[in-house]
Amino acid sequence: GQNGTEVKKFKKFESYKRDNQLPPKVKNLEIVVDQKNHTLVLPVMGRPVPFHIHTIKNASKNDEGEWSYLRINFLSPGQGVGRKDDQPFEDASAQFVRSLTFRSLDGDRYEEIANQISNMKKEATKKEQEKKDMED
Amino acid sequence: MAAFENFDSIFLDLSKESGKCRFAENGLGWKPSAGGNTFTLDRGDIAAAQWSRAAKGYEVKILKRSSEIVHLDGFQQEDLERLSKIFKNWYSINLDPKEHALRGWNWGKTEFSKAEIIFNVQNKPSFEIPYSEISNTNLAGRNEVAVEFTASNEDDTGTNGHLGGARGRGKKSGAGKDQLVEMRFYIPGTTTRKETEGEEA
Repeated sequence: GQNGTEVKKFKKFESYKRDNQLPPKVKNLEIVVDQKNHTLVLPVMGRPVPFHIHTIKNASKNDEGEWSYLRINFLSPGQGVGRKDDQPFEDASAQFVRSLTFRSLDGDRYEEIANQISNMKKEATKKEQEKKDMED
Repeated sequence: MAAFENFDSIFLDLSKESGKCRFAENGLGWKPSAGGNTFTLDRGDIAAAQWSRAAKGYEVKILKRSSEIVHLDGFQQEDLERLSKIFKNWYSINLDPKEHALRGWNWGKTEFSKAEIIFNVQNKPSFEIPYSEISNTNLAGRNEVAVEFTASNEDDTGTNGHLGGARGRGKKSGAGKDQLVEMRFYIPGTTTRKETEGEEA
């Protein structure tokens, strides 16, 4: 970009380069945890939408009657978390997807997905820290 | 060109069952493989058409003159050429290939089109939300907008059990076992700064 100085701290990450890299399971219109590509693929109105683990803050599961709810929170400005170099918070006009909530009758599955997301997040944080330590 | 062009294993509006999609000079039709009512669309109702990767395969997304959207998912990548000819020769419409964002970023710009909200990441659509699927919106915080969707059971399709489980207006979030019920956006305060959307780091 032209204003390289403004966003230079932001490290680029990318879930997929081509659409044939999307996991085959997306055809079921379901949440897919793609560990290999550090990505969560979420069904939004029939479209598989990738979210890289670096954009995810956390995930939590709640039950209400027969339904279970899975809420995925993303990093966005004004939360007091997330390091500045993870995202281009310098672009003051950018809008962020802050959370997505799904519901399902299969609570065990949401428990498992929430765990997989936490583990993927832990793994990514650990890797980042190791990288940082090496650079220091 | 033949009088008809047929495509099998196509899903209409996130339908449960697949069906046969048939294009003819005067319009198109879709019929579930298991039988039942046929969905038809007159060529005069087609305002625009778009080609993208979707869930089952590739989709033809049609914007009707009434600003409604029709989704046909399950095409193969190599069907594009044939379909482009169908739309051009029979309907005088360009089937626009539209690549979606695959970066996995959660920031971008919302765009309000005729029929849907489009969330763009680096000038490519990441996802779309038809206005007909939104049940409520509210200001959840100073810079936070919550958009709610009507949760509907899997058998509540809004099409009276017809059309192989195709989803009617306001029923799309119930198409899979994971039903999207709410989405929240962070919207920064109004700014006079020139838009910097799509800047590469």
